[in-house]
Amino acid sequence: MMNREGLKILVIAILISSIGLISIYSSTYQKEGQLWQSIAQKQLLWVIVGIVCFLMMSRFYYRRFWDWTYVLYGIAVSLLFLVFMLGIVRLGAQRWLKFSWFNFQPTELMKLIVVVFLARYFSLKSLDNVSLKISNLGLWRAFILPFIFVAVPVAMIIEQPDLGSGIMILCIFVTMLFMANVRIQYFLMLLGGVCLLLPVFWHYLRDYQKDRLLVFMNPNIDPLGAGYTVIQSKIAIGSGGFFGKGWLSGTQSQLHFLPESHTDFIFASFSEEWGFLGCVILFGLYFLLIKQGIEIAERTYDSFGKLLAFGISYMLGVQVLINIAMNLGLAPVVGLPLPLMSYGGSSVFVTFVALGILANISNSRA
Amino acid sequence: MRVKVATIGVVVIFLFLAAGLVHLQVFQGRQYAVLSKKNCIRLIPQAGSRGRIIDRQGSVIVDSVLSYDVLVLPQEAFDLDRTFFSLSKLLERSVKDLRNTFKANLVSSSIPVVVAKNIDIKKAIALEELKLDFPGVIVQPHPLRDYPYGALAAHVIGYLNEIDRWRLTKLEDYGYKTKDIVGFGGIEEKYDYFLREEDGGTSVEVDRRGRFVRVLGFQPPKNGKEIQLTLDLRIQKIVENSLIDKKGGVVILDPLTGEVLAMASSPSFDPSIFIKQSHQEISGVFNDPTSPLLNRVISGLYPPGSIFKPIVATAGLETGKINSDTSFLCEGQWYVGRQRFGCWNTHGSQDIVAAIAHSCNVFFYRTGLMLGSQTLYDYAIKFGLAKPTNIELPYELSGYIPSSLLKKIHKFKGWYEGDTANFSIGQGDVLVTPLQMVRMMAVFANKGKLLTPCIVKAIAGKDVSVYQRKSVSLPIKESSMELIRQGLRGVVAYPKGTANILSTLPVQVAGKTGTAQAAGGPSHAWFCGFFPFKSPKYVMCVFLERGGPGYYSCLIAKQIIESMVQEGII
Repeated sequence: MMNREGLKILVIAILISSIGLISIYSSTYQKEGQLWQSIAQKQLLWVIVGIVCFLMMSRFYYRRFWDWTYVLYGIAVSLLFLVFMLGIVRLGAQRWLKFSWFNFQPTELMKLIVVVFLARYFSLKSLDNVSLKISNLGLWRAFILPFIFVAVPVAMIIEQPDLGSGIMILCIFVTMLFMANVRIQYFLMLLGGVCLLLPVFWHYLRDYQKDRLLVFMNPNIDPLGAGYTVIQSKIAIGSGGFFGKGWLSGTQSQLHFLPESHTDFIFASFSEEWGFLGCVILFGLYFLLIKQGIEIAERTYDSFGKLLAFGISYMLGVQVLINIAMNLGLAPVVGLPLPLMSYGGSSVFVTFVALGILANISNSRA
Repeated sequence: MRVKVATIGVVVIFLFLAAGLVHLQVFQGRQYAVLSKKNCIRLIPQAGSRGRIIDRQGSVIVDSVLSYDVLVLPQEAFDLDRTFFSLSKLLERSVKDLRNTFKANLVSSSIPVVVAKNIDIKKAIALEELKLDFPGVIVQPHPLRDYPYGALAAHVIGYLNEIDRWRLTKLEDYGYKTKDIVGFGGIEEKYDYFLREEDGGTSVEVDRRGRFVRVLGFQPPKNGKEIQLTLDLRIQKIVENSLIDKKGGVVILDPLTGEVLAMASSPSFDPSIFIKQSHQEISGVFNDPTSPLLNRVISGLYPPGSIFKPIVATAGLETGKINSDTSFLCEGQWYVGRQRFGCWNTHGSQDIVAAIAHSCNVFFYRTGLMLGSQTLYDYAIKFGLAKPTNIELPYELSGYIPSSLLKKIHKFKGWYEGDTANFSIGQGDVLVTPLQMVRMMAVFANKGKLLTPCIVKAIAGKDVSVYQRKSVSLPIKESSMELIRQGLRGVVAYPKGTANILSTLPVQVAGKTGTAQAAGGPSHAWFCGFFPFKSPKYVMCVFLERGGPGYYSCLIAKQIIESMVQEGII
């Protein structure tokens, strides 16, 4: 059975998804065409699927992942490879795998798998040995080897191109390393390496990605092109004011000034209609959710569970941070969904699964 | 330890996001709300028509007629090429031309674009009938200024043009915008606020592509107010005809009310060239050395010469320095110190009446010298000189009356007796406008009232001339008034009177001629008078710039009065 913490996680997740559903309904409300009208219904279906998965995962003993990690990793990487070979191209990116009635985005799954993989890599199988494996690992095994394991899928994801998810996975990698007690000097080395490699990365970025980064520095250099989204998003959020414009009354999203108002910019269309008050409530829910995850991690003694719980919490936190910051114009525009809010089955599904694992960790804590 | 760092990290992340949110929504919320409104609300203007200007009988001087513009609404015109092709055949313009106009004016797909302006009504009707064949083509009526009499009363009316920067900075607070069409000069400028139409329009909500979503509101356009002038078009026409090919101005007032019945300045201009925007003609008007845009009646400053003499006569009689028995001997000249001041003839012994009738300079030199420059100055001011008459027209000038003090201030020179002599025959530094002179003459026509000339009778049917009709009674003794009036009548009636040529007219005219010396060229010709003498109904000033002796102005006055008699106005 689920304990109180698990229940709390489920309730918060359902609340956030409901807010998401309301916002998706509103932002697709006036869009013409059959396809648009079914968007909110589709999302509702995914949320229900997600809840079912959550309940299933909360009963599935999380330590079994320990044995299956490399298999899961292999599956996820081959899915990414499949996307690379025969994925469908949408919005200029090749991110989706077409199934009979839905499209799946393996990138979302990869985020969770990376968390599981790193938790597995840095912990010992024995439940009784609560110490982390890291203390007797050198630079090669503590840092470079796991980096190679992460870098392979990240490279494939960035190649899709999906810079946002790639960066996000790298962020998870760094935080997991941190939580796994990797020596601080390795982090400094990483920082130095990144700084050295930045010009090289810049060279490999696509033109539109460069534009986005430049536009982030100053959105007004190209107000109708690359800067358009940021400007419209800031207008949407700012014009919401303290109390918001009211549900279904947000002109920015209703009249399509705001692109991607039901996916990456769902936060902007939400805050336009619900104002500062609505946003504060939403922030509160996310904060409670993530804090709950960290609390579970703190109280878990076995290293695998602990790292897994941290990883999942931080996976959520980093996504919330990057997504909302880019909505506010505080981060460059990279395609990254807001977990549980943005439209997208894969993201909702994976997030619920991750939360289910979290609930199970909390439940089976020794 | 690291767990704590991680927990703090989460808190920091949320504080960071919350700070960003507060900045955007709470501090800059209002600013972004404005931006969001600008994003989605568009205004489709609909023009009102500018107020008409009519004369005292109600004849239209300036009208607003409908012209037709062809507009294309981009979001409805699916096949632009076909539309342009059909339009080009109908409008007899090239497809390329239409396409270029369209491109140049395109703002957004929900705002109609003007592709052809001022098409004639037949084509407009033809287009309307074919509307179904041309989706997205709109024929919009659009009021345009029309001048049925061409250049008639052009200086009183003024003209219309796009607002300039100077006017814009002045009028911004009253809701004027760049590219507004506003009046320049005359009534069009002075009463622009009333004549001005208020454009209405439909405000519509549009989406990101500028496509129409729904109508938010409609405000019907408001037409400008109609202005009735005191002008009498019949007289105005006569006056303007008499000035053809001459340089000068004529103004006729009602001496009892101060209403301007005719006001003309020559050379003139055709205000319709500004509507047609024919740049060649407009620059021609602006660069013409004869300055056709100048209203010489109110904005031209000239020495008055002899028509200034009635003021000197009044001063002499009122101060008691001269009376009906005073007479001076004119020997054709008078010496002030060693300086010789000439008269234009040798008049012999002249009393006040004869001196006015014959315009004897010697008489007025001596009267003036007895009075002194300060008294002359005071009387000139009493007759309203050296300040604007406050007629409701813009750009009226004040003129200049000299005095010893002003000479010291402006020229750093002392005042001499010779200056007084020149002053008393309206020469020297004296500068007046023809309107000031006709106003001075009206005092003698109505026996003592200094009027404020007015030219606007009613605005939107409401009589406003009462507000303007202010008059000051000048305390002139009846006996003095009578003597001067006799003198003015003598100008016409006496066989040797300077305007004797007018004695053949069927109406009794009184007045004064003037031949004002001006440096470097022929003199200015003045005639200023009123008629009928017994009960004056008209007071008139004819001025010819560099027109020679006053006689030539008398000829014009004669021509005008003859025509007025012929048309049965008098």
